[in-house]
Amino acid sequence: MSGLHLAGIDAATLARAGLGLAAAVVVLYVLKLRRRPIAVPFAALWQRVLRDRDATTLFSQLKRLLSLLLQLALVALMLGALGDPRSAAVSVTGRHLVVLVDASASMKATDVSQPRGEEGPRRTRLDVAKERLRQTIRGLSGNDRMLIAALDSTVTPLSTMTGDVGELERALDAVRAVDVRASYAAGLRYALDSLRGLPNPEVVVASDGALGEATDGRGPVDLGSAKLSYVKVGDSSSSRNVAVTGLSVRRYPLDKSRYEVLVEITNTMDDAATVELELVGDGRITDIVKLSLGARETTTRFYPNLSGADRTLEARVRLADGAFDDLPADDRAFALLPERRRARVQVVTRGNMYLDAALLLDEYLEVVPVEPDAYPAEGAFDVTIFDGVAPPVAAGSGGVLYLAPPSDEHTPFKLGARLTSDVATPLGFDELDDRHPLVRYLSLGEVNVGRARELEAVEKKDATVGRSLKGTLLLAGRRKGKPFVALGFDVRDSDLPLRVAWPLFVMNVIAHFLDEDTGYISSFRTGEVWSIPAAASEKTATLTLPDGAECLIPVKDGRAVYLGQEAGLYGLSLGGERSGFAANLSDPAESAITPEPELKVGETRAGELEGFTVGARRELWVYFLVAVLVVSALEWLTYHRRVTV
Amino acid sequence: MGLLSFLRRAAAPLARRTSPQAAEDAELFDEAFQRKLEYLAMASKRVFAGVMKAERRTKKTGSGVEFADHRDYAPGDDFRSLDWHAYQRFDRLLVRLFEEEEDLSIYLVVDSSESMGFHHARKLRHAKRLAAALAYVGLANLDRVSIVTADSTLGLRLEPTRNKKRIFRVFEFLRRVEAGGSTDLGSALRSFVAQHKRRGLAVLLSDLYDPAGFERGINVLRFNRFEPFVLHVVDRADATPELRGDVVLYDVETGDEREVTVTPAVLERYRSEYDEYLARIERFCVSHQVSYFRADVDVPFDELVLRVFRRGGFLR
Repeated sequence: MSGLHLAGIDAATLARAGLGLAAAVVVLYVLKLRRRPIAVPFAALWQRVLRDRDATTLFSQLKRLLSLLLQLALVALMLGALGDPRSAAVSVTGRHLVVLVDASASMKATDVSQPRGEEGPRRTRLDVAKERLRQTIRGLSGNDRMLIAALDSTVTPLSTMTGDVGELERALDAVRAVDVRASYAAGLRYALDSLRGLPNPEVVVASDGALGEATDGRGPVDLGSAKLSYVKVGDSSSSRNVAVTGLSVRRYPLDKSRYEVLVEITNTMDDAATVELELVGDGRITDIVKLSLGARETTTRFYPNLSGADRTLEARVRLADGAFDDLPADDRAFALLPERRRARVQVVTRGNMYLDAALLLDEYLEVVPVEPDAYPAEGAFDVTIFDGVAPPVAAGSGGVLYLAPPSDEHTPFKLGARLTSDVATPLGFDELDDRHPLVRYLSLGEVNVGRARELEAVEKKDATVGRSLKGTLLLAGRRKGKPFVALGFDVRDSDLPLRVAWPLFVMNVIAHFLDEDTGYISSFRTGEVWSIPAAASEKTATLTLPDGAECLIPVKDGRAVYLGQEAGLYGLSLGGERSGFAANLSDPAESAITPEPELKVGETRAGELEGFTVGARRELWVYFLVAVLVVSALEWLTYHRRVTV
Repeated sequence: MGLLSFLRRAAAPLARRTSPQAAEDAELFDEAFQRKLEYLAMASKRVFAGVMKAERRTKKTGSGVEFADHRDYAPGDDFRSLDWHAYQRFDRLLVRLFEEEEDLSIYLVVDSSESMGFHHARKLRHAKRLAAALAYVGLANLDRVSIVTADSTLGLRLEPTRNKKRIFRVFEFLRRVEAGGSTDLGSALRSFVAQHKRRGLAVLLSDLYDPAGFERGINVLRFNRFEPFVLHVVDRADATPELRGDVVLYDVETGDEREVTVTPAVLERYRSEYDEYLARIERFCVSHQVSYFRADVDVPFDELVLRVFRRGGFLR
């Protein structure tokens, strides 16, 4: 016992308690056993029976002695457990570990040994990591403390800093891999913050190593005194994966029944591969093509002038030789085509031939001309154009385009000075926000304006899209979720209607109001915070996840906000309106699943996780208690078999 | 602890007296029982057809026709009884004795000790029914039937009576019999033979749990020229006690205690000892030409009585 010391109750107390308990046990055995009195009709018959038993009294006493010894052994074992004996080798101060379990998409890879003879889902890297960590948890010593956190696009702590095996195992079970890239630096910073001030700090990263650099906006992560350990999973020799790393789609502006698609495919393997690319629209295969990709080659494929699909589009890729792809998560990408519907436009005007002509350009518009006195017309509209008028905006007017508003009494902006053109300083668009969708593909720099009213933004978020040196001429903004655009001059006071830009400008405005511009985002990328257009004044929206589950998400400034971590098709319900969008992993770094042989943070190289006797607890008191149970069972058995009594 | 166990044991007979025992005794001789008695009486006559009323031989010598023995002449003896042939041969005056023909006296000795009340008094109730049945058959055959109870002394006594109409007195008497006291058949039967000069058939209904030895009581009857007939009332529950573990056994009659740890092996030894005890009683009776019959409480009384008739010894 020289190699042991007591971590629980001290030896002197144990000795006193042991003596007391042993004395009590002995006294109880010395005391005569109280027996049940039982009446018999003729005791003389028993006399003969018991005469033979008297000869075995000595043996009975010996058996009672054995029973006493068993009881004393029980007392000794229980005291031993209370003493919590520890080996001197593990008597150092316990370690504090923060285990970052990589839950990124690459951890869904199945390039690990699979159990034989079992059907069902294949084991993933995450499953293997969990197994190894579970063994580590069971090997924790009594002084060690551990915290488990899932590392995906954020860091999610799943347990407290504890030595409770049950809590840690439950936390480990709660880790789920999602379709995102791991936020390595954030994870390390969280771990270091959790370990600050604790003795023997250690960061354990259970991962395939595809974590990138440990750097974020605050610079590279400094581990300080914390030890870094790496539980590596994945098999670099057998990883096979091809991925759809990009999918984009848009309708043609002038023929919205047709669309074009761009697909990017990446071969992440070190060998050349032939892949089969499938394009599926609304669940029906639109195109299948075989492509040969070189080692680690990325290629794009452009599908122009497609038709047929109405809403959903999906690109699928697989190895043409039928081999199993180790990461199915990146074999599919989704996109939603911009909604194609006839927009209702209400034109409140006393007559504007140029405006009428521009609106004739798009056959998908339903134009309703309204006299200013008759506004609002019956029904709901997507767009309302106030040409030379600015009445109060009625409900159901949709986005509003103000052309030369006469007053600012009911407008969401202020009218400033009257501007005129002169020879020295001609009036026109001297400055344009080229990135704004209103002026995309337009050339407005040459436009000459005779006279105009300066537009003054009321809110900071209002965007000045175009201005002359004398003042703002084109203003855009949003009020209560509804967009508006204001042009500070009558187009008939300029040469704009004579230019190609005029009808395109009107189309851009309408597309902007319908969120149907040619820059439509066909899909979001997982792992980012999505701002989904939500044209309503509600504060929450219902999001339908790819697996069919629903959740409420907040709506802010006309945008529903959500941190998406799963690829697939989503639905959004808001104020009775339903819309949809797609989300894709689209991350070549996550698709490159070949595990990294080593993990580094700055110059610090991660080592193996050490100091755990896998599968065996180092607290001896557990074994003492097990012995107590065994001895109790023995005593019970022997009692009922009448061996010891 | 001792006080508690004493109180418990002392209260046991009281509990039996106030228990549903009375109700059970009321059903003991119910109408169905009485119908069976009538059947048994008829069956006894069919089995022993031709036997005349009161035509039974007793060992009493007297004025009958069948020679029994000689005895020395005593002054006052009837000269007609002198055996002159014997006088010529032996030169002694001897009087010839003849078996006197008279009605038989049947004595039913019911063991009423505490052990008979064990196991819900199954043995005592069985003994009462058997006694009632035998009494009825005897009364029906115009025999003189008397019943006594015995534990360590003689208890209740039913005067000798004849005529089967008296059977209700028998029932009433037997209903009054309760278990209690310790067994000492030797002592009790010594009192019995002293009180009953008229010899006859003495039917002993007992479990024979006599600490002084079952032989003593039987021998008392034998040595006093009674015809003992042993009806051994047996309850197999006595052989298979439901015991387990550390217990202290005490005798319901004597209160003798014995500590024992009951194991299956001990129970097995007890069972074989019990069987040996029964066998010993049977051997004793057979070897001493005492009529013996084992009456198991689990066998209906009417079937047992018929078996008794068939075995003989009770009716001649």
